[in-house]
Parts: sequence; C-alpha cells; structure tokens
Amino acid sequence: MNLNIFIMGGYGLYVWSAFLFAFLVCLILFLKTRKSLLKLEKDYKEEVKKLSAEQVETLSKAKISRDILTSQSKVK
Amino acid sequence: MLSPGKLFVFLNKISKSIKVILIPLLIVSLIFSLFISPLDYIQGDTVRIMYVHVPSSWIALACFSFIGFFTILNFLFKYKNAFVIYKSLAPIGFSFCLISIVTGSIWGQPTWGTFWAWDARLTSMLILLFFYILFIFSYKYIQDLNTSSKICSIISVLGLINLIIIKYSVDIWSTLHQPSSVNVFGKTSIHNSMLLPLSLMLLVFLVYCALIFLMKYRSEIIRMKRKGLKRL
Repeated sequence: MNLNIFIMGGYGLYVWSAFLFAFLVCLILFLKTRKSLLKLEKDYKEEVKKLSAEQVETLSKAKISRDILTSQSKVK
Repeated sequence: MLSPGKLFVFLNKISKSIKVILIPLLIVSLIFSLFISPLDYIQGDTVRIMYVHVPSSWIALACFSFIGFFTILNFLFKYKNAFVIYKSLAPIGFSFCLISIVTGSIWGQPTWGTFWAWDARLTSMLILLFFYILFIFSYKYIQDLNTSSKICSIISVLGLINLIIIKYSVDIWSTLHQPSSVNVFGKTSIHNSMLLPLSLMLLVFLVYCALIFLMKYRSEIIRMKRKGLKRL
C-alpha cells in the first residue's frame, strides 16, 4: 500500500485535518438541522391530534399541512 | 413572488433529488481533490486544502450577500418570505465562514509558518464571522419581530460593507493572503487540472447547502404553521 497517499509528503496532517474539520462541521450542521426538523414535525402532528375532526378537515385542505402530516408518517 | 406555501411544496420535491446526488458527487470530488489533482510546484500537497477552503469562503460570502438582500427586502417591503429565507441561510453561512477561517489557518502554518496573522483578509473574514454570530443572536433572542428586523437590517448593511472590504483587502493592503486566482469576469490563473476538483467541491458544497436550506426552510414554515394551529 502506498502510504504517501496519506502522508502527502509530510503535509498529510494539515490536509487531512482541514478536510476532516470541514466535513465534521457539515455533519454536525446536518444532524442538528435534521433533529430539529423531525422534532418540529412530531410536535406538529401531536398538536393536530388534539384538534376536533372538523378542524383537522379544514387543516388537511391546506397543501403545507397535508405535506407535513404525510412526511411525519414516513419518518415513523 | 412565490408564496411560502407554494415554495414549501416545490422545495420538498427537489430535496429528495438532492439527497440522491449528494453522496456520489462527494465521493467523486474527494477522489479528484485528494488523489488525482496535481501537486503545486511550491506548496506541494498543502495546495489540496484549497479545495475546501476556497469554496467555503465563496459560500460564506455569497450567503451573507443573500442575507443582506433579503433582510433589506424584508425591512423595506415587509416581504414575509424574506424572513424565512434569511433565517434559513444564516446558519449555513456561519458554518462555511468557520470552515473557511479554520482551514485557512491550517493552510497558513505550512505556507506562511503561522496559524494566524492580523492580515487584512484574515481579519475581515473573522469580522464576518462575528457579523454572522450577531445576526443569528438578533433573530433568535429578540422576541419583537419589528425590533429584530431593524437590528438584522443594520447588521446586514454593515456586513455588506465588510464584504466589499474582504473582496478588495488583498488589492488595497499588502497582505500575506494571495490575490484571487479565479475570476469570473477576468483572467483565471489556475490550471484546469486544479480548477476541475475546485469546481467539483464547490458543486458538492452548493448541493449540501441546498439540502440544509430546504430542511431549515421547512422547519421555519412548520414553526409558523404551529402558531396558526392555535388560531383554529
């Protein structure tokens, strides 16, 4: 195995740490955003459950609400 | 202009395609930037840091330009979608500004012999990071929408002035940081063998930004809809 690919002429530590830092920040942002989105969708669905049948019917006519409610069921 | 509702449904459809292309594109870009692209005749392998540093800086600057535009739009015309858009863009811009500063600092050690210098470009990028922090804190912790909108507008106008300083800092002052090698309207001094991985990494970051933006936008709309539920 050609170790020079990883050592990079002695600069491997700099190159790999820069790439790792970039991807770590991206991963953290992605996971944080995803977690908060899933929580919001779950809370929204729970609040909809508390509504009367008439209110739910009115709500499901709106595209956004329908979209949120169906996406939550896919998550579960 | 599109209403948040129509935009919400449309953006949700494209987010599925984005998820499919992101990983293969990332793998190809990493192979090009870490293994295939040539060494620099002076900097050697450290030049590979450019493939994360440069696109991150471009995205950090572009995000703040959009934030400035939408904040002013919201302040002047009360365009309701603008508030949702700039709130979704700010964390993305902040993350890429942080990546740009840290990777630049890592690149600085083998190239300049120091992690940090109070050079015009580096300092103005650090100021941009503080503008991002101030901006995020303003819309997060100021409850009154009007006050928050006014403060956000002031921060974004000052930030826009800083963007001009960042752009011309390497031309006006004598800096450690090199002048730009890629120019959209002028001559690009970078070889195609390096321009290709740079463009690929930029594309990966842009696709990633689009994905995060869509998730953030969706979260903001759900937050608004939850408030609407209480009025039913």
